[in-house]
Amino acid sequence: MTSLGMRKFRRDPGLVSRMYFTMFMLGILYAIFALVLWTLSVQIVFIGVIVGGFALFQYFMSDRMILWASGAKLVTEQQEPELHRSIKRLADRASMPMPKVAVINSHVPNAFATGRNPSNALVAVTTGIRERLSDRELDAVLAHELAHVRNRDMRVLAIGNFLVTLTSFLMTMFFWSMLFGGLGGRRDNNASAILLVYVVTIVVYFVGQLLVLALTRYREFGADHSGAEISGDPGALASALEKITGQMARIPDQDLRRLQTASAFLFAPIALRSGVGSLFSTHPPVEERIRRLKELERRMSFGMR
Amino acid sequence: MVLDRLFGRRPQARTDWSVMSSIIRAEQRLMARGEISPSRRGGLIFRNDESNPFMRDLKQELDPVLYSGPGATKTAFEIQDDDHGMRWVVMEDGNFEDLVSSVYTVGNAMGANGGAGNLLAAVFELYFTGTVDDNSFRSGLRTYWIYRYDRKSFYPFVPTGESTGDRDKPTEVSLASRARRQGMVIERNMEEWMGLWGIPF
Repeated sequence: MTSLGMRKFRRDPGLVSRMYFTMFMLGILYAIFALVLWTLSVQIVFIGVIVGGFALFQYFMSDRMILWASGAKLVTEQQEPELHRSIKRLADRASMPMPKVAVINSHVPNAFATGRNPSNALVAVTTGIRERLSDRELDAVLAHELAHVRNRDMRVLAIGNFLVTLTSFLMTMFFWSMLFGGLGGRRDNNASAILLVYVVTIVVYFVGQLLVLALTRYREFGADHSGAEISGDPGALASALEKITGQMARIPDQDLRRLQTASAFLFAPIALRSGVGSLFSTHPPVEERIRRLKELERRMSFGMR
Repeated sequence: MVLDRLFGRRPQARTDWSVMSSIIRAEQRLMARGEISPSRRGGLIFRNDESNPFMRDLKQELDPVLYSGPGATKTAFEIQDDDHGMRWVVMEDGNFEDLVSSVYTVGNAMGANGGAGNLLAAVFELYFTGTVDDNSFRSGLRTYWIYRYDRKSFYPFVPTGESTGDRDKPTEVSLASRARRQGMVIERNMEEWMGLWGIPF
């Protein structure tokens, strides 16, 4: 649906927020489009066909869309024998088919997996993450991404998004018929009532998206756990996370000029962001992930799972 | 440091020049190791004040100091305004030591003419082309080193795009520790590493 089915190992704030904003706007556009069709008295079945068709199109094309959007290049076994060997070994351990492998030419350390099911999966890494992590750490990251594929998180996310759009559409229809009475009858164009219906669409969709984000954070812990089982090395994932995000989290995204021009307003947005940030975040706090991984490492070293 | 404490000496106060000149030493060492290519660009960003005569006639004031006057370093310079309402003096000099001293001189002159509170930062470009701590920058990486006048320290800034927030933090962390080992005075509080997106050089 609106989801690009993209799973990020590390939050790259610029990219991720842009992506989610785009998805969000797409979703709203989608719901409003369906609503407009409906106000034009288009048959409900026909609307269903169009909306469903779009959803299926996105679901099946997501791999290609992501490759295009992220600038990832598919690499063959000849081009990247080492990377292929690591992924093959981990996929075998997880009893999964070998996914497609892609590399993104970027200094920013990052990795993601995508694909609607394990036989149509793709694992991508940036050149930055390969430069920065040791082989053990990179294997742990790859195992985490394979775990996303095996847990079918892309599908969970797609279904979640679909339900959110469907719900917001149904809610809108409900409001619409409450305001104008009855389905299918001629409706007079009361501007403020129409506006109200659109506002309801947006609010319902927004709340739905927050729930989907909460779901993806929960799936992230899941992938940490099953990824550690695949690699057998939760400590390596913890140290990879630490290496990539530990100190980095303290570097601000603000522009120095804002200190001068808007110092009076500066602390408010920061306070707001820190409170609201976790609601919008696709990933749970790194500290919590690291803590759970270390706990898992301790238990695994005692032969308990 | 310990000896200073022992003998009751105060550690030397950091001045703009003592910190800013630390990039000269670092640049020389990084060059000697083949980690960067020659650096020739730098600049100064400040909040313009038309009521200040020095700032109003900045071009005429700076020309003899930087370029045409006796003993001037012949540093080419240009005045530019950015989208954030700030003004830049962008400088270029084939000799990095002269470049740093020119940037310092402009800031110093502005401070002496009632503009100390208007100075925001000095910025230098270092272009990495070698390998630093297992990170290969052979395809070339443009980095900026921002000196904040209010903090009196440097920090790296590696933008990955034009929009606010687009920066390569891991590379910044690794280059900062590299530069610190080469003697550059690096801001320890990373929360102060504010970016400057859209640097005009």
